[in-house]
Amino acid sequence: MVELRDVRMQFQDKKVLDGFSLKVEPQERLVIMGQSGSGKSTILRLILGTLRPNSGSIFFKQFEITRLQRRKLQRVRQHVGMVYQYSALLSSRNVRDNVALPLEELTDKSRGEIDKIVDEKLDLVGMKDSKDLLPEELSGGMKKRIALARSLVLEPELILLDEPSAGLDPVVASVIAELIIGLSEKAKVTSITATHEMDSAFRIGTRMAMLYQGKIIEEAEPEKFKQSKNPVVAQFLSGSTEGPILEDSQDAITKK
Amino acid sequence: MANAHPPVVIAQGIGQITRSFLREVGSVFWFIAQTFEEMFERIQQGRVPFRAASFFRHTARAGVDSVPLVGLVSFFLGLTMALLTGYQLQRFGTERLIPGLVAITFTRELGPLITGIMLAARIGAAFTAELGTMQVSEEVEAIEAMGIGPLRFLVAPRMLALFLLMPCLSTVSNIAAIGASSLISKAYFSIAFPYFLDLVKDALLIRDIITGILKSFLFGLLIGAIACYRGLTVKGGAAGVGTSTTSSVVTAITVVIGFDTLYNIVYTVFFPT
Repeated sequence: MVELRDVRMQFQDKKVLDGFSLKVEPQERLVIMGQSGSGKSTILRLILGTLRPNSGSIFFKQFEITRLQRRKLQRVRQHVGMVYQYSALLSSRNVRDNVALPLEELTDKSRGEIDKIVDEKLDLVGMKDSKDLLPEELSGGMKKRIALARSLVLEPELILLDEPSAGLDPVVASVIAELIIGLSEKAKVTSITATHEMDSAFRIGTRMAMLYQGKIIEEAEPEKFKQSKNPVVAQFLSGSTEGPILEDSQDAITKK
Repeated sequence: MANAHPPVVIAQGIGQITRSFLREVGSVFWFIAQTFEEMFERIQQGRVPFRAASFFRHTARAGVDSVPLVGLVSFFLGLTMALLTGYQLQRFGTERLIPGLVAITFTRELGPLITGIMLAARIGAAFTAELGTMQVSEEVEAIEAMGIGPLRFLVAPRMLALFLLMPCLSTVSNIAAIGASSLISKAYFSIAFPYFLDLVKDALLIRDIITGILKSFLFGLLIGAIACYRGLTVKGGAAGVGTSTTSSVVTAITVVIGFDTLYNIVYTVFFPT
């Protein structure tokens, strides 16, 4: 479904991805874990084609994202749903209009059909009664659920989720996680989730990947991943202050 | 660099400024071209490039809501111009030139220019701040991620609204200024309204009106493009939005005055009276 081959990405002096490779199979729920600022969101943006890598190739199905012209890329993006860390709802539009936007702009559906789909998706995320509210009137969890509903209206084959449970209370985080699992099981949607929140990561993922210093250093099913002998993964999962993660950060600070 | 001669340093400085200026000009024209390309692609697909509601919202904001400001400022300018020039002309007994002078000046030059400056400050700043805020809160990227062209969706209705509304607002400016000068002409120089109108009609040529209208279209397009370009290229959060908004207004006003001069030179060279 998705493949990244030897991707390198650098922002000014900072190397974010350094020969990064990854393959995601259909209907898989891959969770990419890593420290804040390690490049998890960058990977999602590269798959969407809103960022271009310095080198390497990115494939979504048979399309090489890195080589697509804007027009074709826009069409490919219609098969991918994205949920941003801060939801990225259009602040001047109410909930209904936010969710309806892709349908209004990209399909020939009538207003009645659009309203029906919007109701269905809002019902799915438990937000049917908030149709007339503006994003500023919503809590963080509500915004996330609306963003999820918006990402689903075009029935995408792939959903990218950037920190879906960050800043949410455990109950709402669980609701979001259950929604993602439900989508994958019922609608056969593939998902890639970037997060550093353990609970939702292990709840959502069918496969876990650890991103560290621009590369995937460990990749396994959740139970095997928990047992990993890799010191970086072990430290990350335990949250310990002793280990290579802080030592490497200290080295980098000292070198500067 | 430390040992470079002052003329070299000055030349390098001029070179750098020229390069960045040309890069900016190129980027804005590329931005306009890309916006039109996205619109035409959409039309080719048999769809409207943007929703009529969005376009009319921007025309109401940029056009209808700007009428009081443009009208009032132009009215005061017309009053002042008629009064000051009238007293000078009266010394030579030629105060009947006032109507023609105000009409030609505003129709050809001041109407589009003043309207352009006011719209750059009032609407250009608003467009930049609005799009800049959307940019920093990832709204623009979210639109792009959905497969919607942000240029045709966000920029085209704003740019087109300014492009089409500028000539209308320039006309409002012209009428307000001419109206104001007719009041002064009547009150201080005893030029009756019907005679004032006759003098305006005698002085004003169709080419003056066309020149002003063409100029207005150009200014509208430039102000809209600069404002939207600055908005979509905001970097650095809230502070970045502030910086870009200031830069948008300064750039748009400078470009409007610069293009006005260029337009006048080209027009005078190729279409002399």
